[in-house]
Amino acid sequence: MSDFLDTLSVLILLSSFVLMANKRIKSYIETFRIQSLLIALVAGIMGVDSLLTEGRFDILVVCLLIIILKVIYIPALLHRTYVNVKYKVEKDFILNIPILIIVCCGLVVFSYFTLATVDGLNESIFNIQFVNSVSVIWIGLFFMISRKKAIGQIIGFLVIENGLYITAMLSTQGMPFIVDLGISIDLLTAVMIMGLMVFRINEKFDSIDTDQLNNLKG
Amino acid sequence: MGLLLLAVPVLAVLLLFIFKQNRIWHIISLSASSFLLIIAARLTRNVMLGGKVEYSYLGGFFYLDALSMIVLDIVLILGFIVSIYSIGYLQEEIKQGKVAAGKLRHYYMLMYSFIFTMVLALTVKNMGIMWIAIEATTLASAFLVGFYNEKKAIEAAWKYVIICSVGIAIALLGIILLHLSSFGVLASGRFLDWTALYDNAKSLNSSILRLAFIFILVGFGTKAGLAPMHTWLPDAHSQAPSPISALLSGVLLNSAMYGIIRTAAIVNHNQGNSIYTGRLLIGIGILSIATAAVFILTQKDYKRLLAYSSIEHMGIIAVAIGIFTPLSVFGALLHMINHSLTKSMLFLSAGNILQKYNTKQISQIKGVLKLLPFSGTAFLLGLFAIAGTPPFSIFASELSITVSIFDGKSIWLGVIFVLLLAIVFAGIAVTLFKMFYGNHDQKDLKAGETNIAGTVCILVLLTVITITGLFMPDGIIELINQAQSIIIGA
Repeated sequence: MSDFLDTLSVLILLSSFVLMANKRIKSYIETFRIQSLLIALVAGIMGVDSLLTEGRFDILVVCLLIIILKVIYIPALLHRTYVNVKYKVEKDFILNIPILIIVCCGLVVFSYFTLATVDGLNESIFNIQFVNSVSVIWIGLFFMISRKKAIGQIIGFLVIENGLYITAMLSTQGMPFIVDLGISIDLLTAVMIMGLMVFRINEKFDSIDTDQLNNLKG
Repeated sequence: MGLLLLAVPVLAVLLLFIFKQNRIWHIISLSASSFLLIIAARLTRNVMLGGKVEYSYLGGFFYLDALSMIVLDIVLILGFIVSIYSIGYLQEEIKQGKVAAGKLRHYYMLMYSFIFTMVLALTVKNMGIMWIAIEATTLASAFLVGFYNEKKAIEAAWKYVIICSVGIAIALLGIILLHLSSFGVLASGRFLDWTALYDNAKSLNSSILRLAFIFILVGFGTKAGLAPMHTWLPDAHSQAPSPISALLSGVLLNSAMYGIIRTAAIVNHNQGNSIYTGRLLIGIGILSIATAAVFILTQKDYKRLLAYSSIEHMGIIAVAIGIFTPLSVFGALLHMINHSLTKSMLFLSAGNILQKYNTKQISQIKGVLKLLPFSGTAFLLGLFAIAGTPPFSIFASELSITVSIFDGKSIWLGVIFVLLLAIVFAGIAVTLFKMFYGNHDQKDLKAGETNIAGTVCILVLLTVITITGLFMPDGIIELINQAQSIIIGA
């Protein structure tokens, strides 16, 4: 099973690289959907495993939750937001894509070296998975910095959240169930609120370019 | 009994949803907050007598001890005061046409969801649920920050949501690592349970725990407004309606700080000393005070100035927790209470000033004492109090923190600390005191208070911070001592 999980964790990391290379908001949403699907797959494998060995089915419920929320509902919500915001943007990033990718590679190396020094993490089998999933968090953070449009920042936030999900899943076999449930509800509300705010920003500023949010200083 | 604490805000939100009249909304809000206050008084008594309040049902998630009781009392007392103040404030806003009458209901619904999330964060012992509740505070208050729906308010709300959500996401990584560090130590039913983590702290994996603390400090520190993650705070505090600014500054920051204190207690217990957390907390605390000092000196907007002053006081609390002696932790908790009461009083009086003059610019305001005799006086005295002048209560707690720093033989730290406090004092004096005297230019402003009940609240708070500066009731001292021994350990 750990071979499967190793492969999936690498694929999830790869999907965040793909996201970084995406140019259009539409393709961000699709890449995010694929990444969530991979995470749901991880949860599915672990859920089946824990169902067979321990008879617990809470991880399968989490898997279902991920599919409903992150694969179906949230991408659809974002797509609706994108369509309704009149101001269409084509180029959305500050640095060019090769440089962004190189920085992402640097982030993976960085998280490898920081986590390699922590005792208790580097002896176990989870190490490579842990490095991959923590890297997804940092790439999500970097994605937020590198994109100027509000929707891009929401996607960045969702990727951070995905990274956290996968970290929790791979390193600790998931958080306590009630916590997982609460995190999902929080995430859903957060995305809905951010989506509403994008509308308001678009209404007041005639654009969703966050560079224009610069009235408050000092 | 304790569960009523969680049920009342939910019930208030539901009732607000049902009724359609303006007057009834005010009545619902007022009765909910007074009811909460009564429950809080009963629970405080139970905690003082029994040490903690726990129930066995629902997996025993409800947990109150002296530490959470102190912060919870602040939440509910300020919630009550703000609910009284809001009536007059919002009626005036509606009269001036800044807010549509129907939005009153949204305001109260969001305010009670905000209070609910904070109460939830303070009454659970599972660190995971605490994290969820603290994240939910951001979501509940986001539209309160953007309540006026102007360009600036929307900008502040967007920054608030994005920065705090990302910050709190990093805290989640910390919580995951905390969970990981307890693997093989805790039974599966007690995962992330604070009491279990604290009792078994010695057997947790200490290098993972240290990593967890950094992430939790950065994450909850973002919500607590510690520099350099503070950038959302001045924007949100200055753009929110004044009663909400009072809640954000007096209550929300404490709830986030509470999370840091709980984690620091586990880490220190695990390490056997406070060197690790101490260095981080003192470093980040001093940086916060210094950042606030610089921005206060050059500030042009009085609500932003008060917001920076909150950053300063959170920095002071972080330093005091970093020192981690009985005296300094006592000072930190006392400072939490004093800062909340004083700062919310200042924000409420600033609200009255804002409503009278319709500007936040310090340079356009003159003669506050003539136009607003009561809230103006309270604002002036409150500024002295917040800068740390005796006889007000902040002086007492700042003094005990300063003494504890010098006791620890870290002379240079003490010198820097006191110097920065002096700069802040000078900054407040230089920038704000010119508001009070002289004559205002606009002729159409009439002297006199509009929000009578709110002004009475301000004066009550002023009396409280003056009296507690001179004489602190034994009950409160005992409660703080109890909380202090929970943090430090017997």
